[in-house]
Parts: sequence; structure tokens; C-alpha cells
Amino acid sequence: MDNLIYILFICTVAPLFLLLLLLRKRSKLIVGYMLIGIFVSLFVSELNTILLNFFGGDSLYVTTVITPISEEIVKAAPVLFYAMVFSDDRDKLMTIAFATGIGFAMFENMVILLQNIENVTVGLAIVRGFSTALMHGVCTAAVGYGMSFIKKRRKLFYCGTVALLTLASIYHGIFNMLVQSEYKYLGFILPALTYIPVVYYQVNGHKSKSV
Amino acid sequence: MNPVLIANIVTCVFAFIGCIYGMLRFFRPRKAVYAQMITLAVGCMAFGRLYQVVRLLTIGDIFERFQLGILGVIGSLLFLFSANFGMMDSLADDGSKQYTKYRIIPLAAPAAYIAVYLVFFFFTDSAPLVKIAAGVLTVFVSGAGYFNLKHLIFPDVDFGVIKSLKLYNILALVFGALCMIEMITVSRGNIAAILITGILMGVILLVIAPTVERGIKRWTT
Repeated sequence: MDNLIYILFICTVAPLFLLLLLLRKRSKLIVGYMLIGIFVSLFVSELNTILLNFFGGDSLYVTTVITPISEEIVKAAPVLFYAMVFSDDRDKLMTIAFATGIGFAMFENMVILLQNIENVTVGLAIVRGFSTALMHGVCTAAVGYGMSFIKKRRKLFYCGTVALLTLASIYHGIFNMLVQSEYKYLGFILPALTYIPVVYYQVNGHKSKSV
Repeated sequence: MNPVLIANIVTCVFAFIGCIYGMLRFFRPRKAVYAQMITLAVGCMAFGRLYQVVRLLTIGDIFERFQLGILGVIGSLLFLFSANFGMMDSLADDGSKQYTKYRIIPLAAPAAYIAVYLVFFFFTDSAPLVKIAAGVLTVFVSGAGYFNLKHLIFPDVDFGVIKSLKLYNILALVFGALCMIEMITVSRGNIAAILITGILMGVILLVIAPTVERGIKRWTT
């Protein structure tokens, strides 16, 4: 199955990489960060296997406590790099952070569906497609959004970044816990509930800028 | 119903109301980042408590092993620390020698928190994990508490903003103390104390954003 994951990775990344060469500016940045998200997801799938073995195969504990922290840190790293080296522009950071989260979720979904190939249904694909993708996107976007505030002051940056990662990890942990419990429908709704205000804010922000 | 669950629900609901209030008031263009950080501190606490509520309802335990709920408190204290250290401190303290005593006296806050922790560590029979968690918590409570106390006593001669935020700093200090008390009461299993601490924390998280708003308004008018 491991080999199949790598085959899937190559099949997903190669066409996007070819597309990346043709794109310019903002589009290039978005697709580039989606690719980074996919790469990060591949790395995390290996990391999670190690963590699962380390915690004696207790997948409920690992998915509700450990992987939310590890995944949020690894997902935020490229966004942090962009904020430190290139720009702390709020719009750009939020966009690339969301793209990283979506890229991550895309590949994670493929891996999970592949690992549960006998139980896969269209319903499951729809639920995972919307809820998990949104959850990863919202978590990373929140970190990117917060980073745009704290990057402006060095004294805020380090503590602020850790605090933001903490917030994202908790949110991720709540989602993972809900979707594995009898309240799983609440878990599926949770990302949408947080995505709608983000969209509202983005749309309103653009409107007020254009006015 | 489990009293720990009730305490968590109360704190969670109050914190969410406080956070939404702060979001509506402070997350707008040209609003103080200081207030936004404090709102995020309340939000972090709200999510931390929500995590604990969900964990209690689904898995059933929150104290046997490390879990993410404690990160809610730590994240919240980090945001409070960042707000005071990163935003406000440089406005009041220019680093001159005449204010040295105002930098030393606030060490009383971390000293008090550490003293409480040492008593807890040496004179109780709590589980090692609880003692470690309390130790980590003490570090963050101490950091935030130092700046809260400093801004409470510092003579704000230049801008006057810190003077107008005194009530907020008192609330933040009490919040830090409650975080410590909660950790101890939970480990001792004192139901009444758990409920009282939870309610008090909730009330503080509810009023903290309006208090900051009032302080900023008083400063600007």
C-alpha cells in the first residue's frame, strides 16, 4: 500500500507541477502552495505511522491528541517561512495558508480512501471532501491570518505563533474527536460553521477595499 | 451530571460569548492588535474547554493522559503574555533606570505562583503527569502574571493607556490565579471548588473583552 501512496503522489503532483510552470504571480503562488500542502501530507502520513507505533497503536489517542499538533506544525511551517522571508501581507498569507491546507487535505483524503478501499462510498467521499478539506484549510488559514498581525512586531511573533498553533491544534483535535464519535455529524458541520465567517470576511474585505 | 463536565460547559459557553463579542468589536480595520490578542486568548480558552467537553462526552477522560485541553489554557496565557509584552510594555517602559523598582516588584506575581506550585509539588500525592502539567502551566501563568502586575503598578506618564487598562490587568491576574487553583482543585477532586473555579473563570472570560473595550475608550476620549 505504501508504494501505491507514492504512485498516487506522483500522479497528483506531476500535472500540477507542469501547470505551475505556465502560471504567473498569484496563481503560481496558490498552486505552488497547494503542491507544498500535498508534499507535507505525504511527509505527515509517514510521520503519523511512526507516531502511531510510538504510542502502541492507540489510534484514537494519537488522532485526537498527537496528530493534530504534528499536522498543524508541519502545515504551518511553509506559511511561516513565507511570512518571514517574503511578505506578511494578510491577503497573501491567508490565501497561501488556505491553499496549503486544501492541498494537504486533498492528498490525505486520497490516502485514507485508498486505505479503506473496501468501505468507500460516494457519501463518504462527499463528507470527507467537504468537511476534512475545509477543516485543514480553515486551520492553516487561521494561522496565516494571525501571522499577518503578529509578524509586524518581533516581540509578538514567537509567542504569538505558538499560541496560534495551539488554537489550530485544539480545533483540529475537536474535529478528529467528533468525527470518530457518535456525534460525527456535528464534526462534519463544524468546519462549515467556521468556513462561512471566513468567506464572509474575505468577501466583505474585498468589497470595502474596492469601494 | 459530572461536575467537571458542568464546570467545563459553563467556562466554554461564557468564553465563547466573550470571544464573539471581542471578534465583533475588535476584528475590524484600525482596531488595536492588543485587544485582538486578548480576544484570541478568550477564544483559545473557549476552544480548549470545548475540546474537554467533547472529550468528556465521547471518550470520557481528560486527566488520565496528556490531552489538548490544557493547550487551551497555555495558548490563552501565551496570547495574554504576547499582548502585554509585545504591544503594551514598550509604550510604558522605556528601559530607563528610574523605573527599575517597577520591574522588580512585579516579580512577586511569578514568585507567588511558583510558591503555590512548589507546595503542590512537594506536599500532595497527585499523579506525576498532573504535577508536570501544573509545572508547565506555572511557567506560562508566571510569564503573563509578571506583565499584568507590572502594568498594574507602572506609572504610565507618557501615554496613559496602561492606566486605563488597570481593571483588565486585575482580571487577567485573577484569571492566572484561577488557572492554578483549578489545576489543584481538579487533582484533589474537590467538586465544589471545581464548580466555583469554573464559574469564576467563565465570568472573567465573559467580561474581559468589554473591560478592554471600556479601557481603550476611556483612553481615547
